[in-house]
Amino acid sequence: MVGGIPLVARFGGALLLVLVLVFMLVPLAVVVGSSVSASEFLVFPPRGVSLRWYEAVLSSDKYLSAGWTSIQLALVVTVASLAVGTPAAIALYRFRFPGSEALGSLFLSPLVLPTLIFGIGMLMLFSRYGSGPSFFALVLGHLVITLPYVVRTVGAVLHGADRHAEEAARTMGANLWQRYWFVVLPQCREGMAAGAFFAFNISFDDAVVALFLRAPGIDTLPLRIYSELEFSPDPSIAAASTVMIFITVAMIFVIERILGVRRLAGSGR
Amino acid sequence: MSSRSEPFWLLLPGLLVLILAFFWPVGELLVTSFFTAPQAGAPPAGTRASAGLANYAKFFADSYYLGVAERTFRLSAITTFFTFLLGFPLAYIMARAGPRLRFWLIVLTVVPLMTSVVVRTFGWLVILGRGGLLSKVLEWTGLSASPIGLMHTETGIVVAMVQVLLPFMALTIMGVIAGIDPKVEEAARTMGAGFFGVMRTVIVPLSLPGIVAGSLLTFALSISSFITPTLVGGVRLPMMAGGIFSHITGSLDWNFAAAMSMLLLLATLAVIVPYAMLLKRRGA
Repeated sequence: MVGGIPLVARFGGALLLVLVLVFMLVPLAVVVGSSVSASEFLVFPPRGVSLRWYEAVLSSDKYLSAGWTSIQLALVVTVASLAVGTPAAIALYRFRFPGSEALGSLFLSPLVLPTLIFGIGMLMLFSRYGSGPSFFALVLGHLVITLPYVVRTVGAVLHGADRHAEEAARTMGANLWQRYWFVVLPQCREGMAAGAFFAFNISFDDAVVALFLRAPGIDTLPLRIYSELEFSPDPSIAAASTVMIFITVAMIFVIERILGVRRLAGSGR
Repeated sequence: MSSRSEPFWLLLPGLLVLILAFFWPVGELLVTSFFTAPQAGAPPAGTRASAGLANYAKFFADSYYLGVAERTFRLSAITTFFTFLLGFPLAYIMARAGPRLRFWLIVLTVVPLMTSVVVRTFGWLVILGRGGLLSKVLEWTGLSASPIGLMHTETGIVVAMVQVLLPFMALTIMGVIAGIDPKVEEAARTMGAGFFGVMRTVIVPLSLPGIVAGSLLTFALSISSFITPTLVGGVRLPMMAGGIFSHITGSLDWNFAAAMSMLLLLATLAVIVPYAMLLKRRGA
């Protein structure tokens, strides 16, 4: 007879699980909670319930323009990252050529560099040879940090996809473009969806690279929140942050529909 | 286009991006770190006056910077330890839970992970501040008589960093535990081992690659983290990243900031290279 898990371990495990989950979620709960406060100051638990701070955010030019910049930036970065990363993944996972393994590591190498150091390097580069930080520099910086995710997610689905379909299309007379458009790209679709999710999310959330590469007058939403935090936080930051949390949650549920939760957890690193 | 040149054309855009916007800036940083400016000033004006190891010598000769490095490594080690302590049970439960519970546990782990670090740290500022949530809870439970605040303390930095990095640890270990056949556990139990005996003699040894990988990753992310230590610790408790940042924006000594960046990069690589090798050996 195999003994079950003893009661004390079950109970202790459940208790520990609840405590860990509370610990993980309490900062988010506090942000959401204090955003509906009616008071002038940041407090948790909130005093009274009001949506006045959401009204404040939605009628404030600094939050709206920062939010709009963030969305534009994340969309441009997502498209660029897919356009550059998908072909690279196809080359790395569909073809065998000398050095393909080393090139694979090369494409993942931005993952090991702390984003702060990368941001400073880009700042120095653009200050020395360019005209300093700009929206373009910011796009390029985010492209580099999101590229490994696209290469990896697209590579992962290609790894499991049928190699012979492409070969069959070739023998049936498909030309290069038909082969890619009708066979290879549809095989990449799931990976591209996951890659797009990571690229958008990373670009939309980043405050570190953006801190160095934003041009004067350009503000992204995380940067706006960061600089408000350094000065005088009021509940409008909580409202803006809550909007960011809900965008993240919505995206996770959408991508989970497409991919399944295990894959999401596996590629999150 | 022959199929021999196909991979080249597919790789070309990516390679150009990596060379121009990744290796070049890092090289720029490396070169800059070996020069000193006649007087501190933002590039490109006169930053490459004389070459040498002066910036590195300055770092190792000044007890202030050594103190910053010491704080960085010490707090990162403590953070990693507590992240493991909380992350391991979470990983085990996630790996062994039924599909419904596992689904929700993974979602609840991924939501904070995918939320901007700025937003999560903001939550901690509200909790850790004087008269904040933590202070209220402690007073209410009678654990503390007077209001306390953990803002601008090392404890506060560690608490917030553990929360920020926990998903990385838990998900890394979960991947390994999920790969351990539950039959091994059953076998050990059939042979008379108790639950904690199985933990100690089966699960921990078999998940050791995951534990080491998760700890290396957490430590590497910890020593280079910027937002959380800066906002929670403030200017009086700088860690490496915060110190680098203040040389970029404050004293404008970019050459010295470059040298500090290189030292931080070196430390990160010393941790992350074994991590990558560990993952590779597992075939992940």
